[in-house]
Amino acid sequence: MIFSPLIDQLIMALRCLPGVGPKSAQRMAFHILERERSSGLNLAKILETAIMQVKHCQRCRTLSETTLCNLCANLNRDQSLLCIVETPADVIAIEQTGSYRGYYFVLLGRLSPLDGIGPEELGLDQLLKNLTEHPPQEVILATNPTVEGEATAHYLAEIIKQRNINTSRIAHGVPLGGELEFVDGNTLARALTERSEV
Amino acid sequence: MHQTILLQPSYILHTRPYRDTSLLLEIFSRDHGRINAVARSARGPKSRFKGMLQQFVPLVLSWQGRTELMNLTVAESYGISHYLTGEALLCGIYLNELLMRLLHRHDAHPGLFAAYQQALIGLQQQQQQITLRLFEKRLLIELGYALQLDKDASTGMDIMLEQYYYFDPIQGLISCANHASKKNIFRGESLLALHYEELTDREHLRDAKRLLRLAVMSLLDNKPLKSRELFLYQLFPLKKQE
Repeated sequence: MIFSPLIDQLIMALRCLPGVGPKSAQRMAFHILERERSSGLNLAKILETAIMQVKHCQRCRTLSETTLCNLCANLNRDQSLLCIVETPADVIAIEQTGSYRGYYFVLLGRLSPLDGIGPEELGLDQLLKNLTEHPPQEVILATNPTVEGEATAHYLAEIIKQRNINTSRIAHGVPLGGELEFVDGNTLARALTERSEV
Repeated sequence: MHQTILLQPSYILHTRPYRDTSLLLEIFSRDHGRINAVARSARGPKSRFKGMLQQFVPLVLSWQGRTELMNLTVAESYGISHYLTGEALLCGIYLNELLMRLLHRHDAHPGLFAAYQQALIGLQQQQQQITLRLFEKRLLIELGYALQLDKDASTGMDIMLEQYYYFDPIQGLISCANHASKKNIFRGESLLALHYEELTDREHLRDAKRLLRLAVMSLLDNKPLKSRELFLYQLFPLKKQE
């Protein structure tokens, strides 16, 4: 052991973060101990409070410390649209585009039968409850364009259609500003089969 | 032993995120069977594998390594990709689960690889039932558990159209007098239809499904298939399945 036990523990603890290996963990630990003691203390406090208090929004299941998250509590949004995504990060990604004004539902995963993730793990009973209490005119399925994401979208479409709600899937295609030559074959094939009229 | 495999025709059966940006792959290759490999930084923003490492896409892959876990070095798409949607997609997941559970690592089955490719084409053409049955039959043959569908296992006599037969996963088909609606008794006509792969009649197709399920499930030690559960869920959403 090169460092004293407490420093070692701190380095080990920092390694739980994504993208942080032994070397960066060591840099972070020394930085906090040498220069940023007060901010480090602040970080520790906020980390503790956040972990204790942040739960899932009761309506859309995204991360939030209030029972209803900011987006769900905002009554000025478009009540007729509901967008279903896989993770809270997807909500942020869509919000940053500024082109969507409806509400969200976060699955916190996707159907992956081979990993043992079935419909129960995705909070679908909550989704069905939402659809009954606040029925939207259209549900947008924005799960990832992977095999599991597609399977999830198909499954959701089947159960949402039974409730006579319009269901749509986000489009797949060539990225803006991209060049066809460098787009992978599968995306290009999809873009061609699902082309739209102009 | 260090192994380098170059440009091997393969399909990806399943992927799992690994570390920060890598991907763990279950690969079904033509000449090397089922392989476990890791695609380093495949999920990163500058990945050279971007959008390529997907199920149901014909690929040529190169990998190297000396342990169980190989290192994926090259991936190129090869031929036309099988674009499965809706129910066909769930059927494709079912095929992948069968292969993952029944194939041993590094056991080559070129015949099965061809059958898998054929099955994906069948699924794409929306002929789910026939496609799945023929693939299951082929799978049993390749694994050495071929069903003897034209001979009575106890007497060695030919299967008769009008006769009823009892299916035992170990012995095979044995003629029986009682045709009360038991789940492991089959009519000779249906057995021969499956034998000659002429599954046009709905009744024959239903019997083939029943028979092949018994045979496949006995290979799986009767442990349920996750992808089948998803099908049942779809029929009865949110009811706990037994």
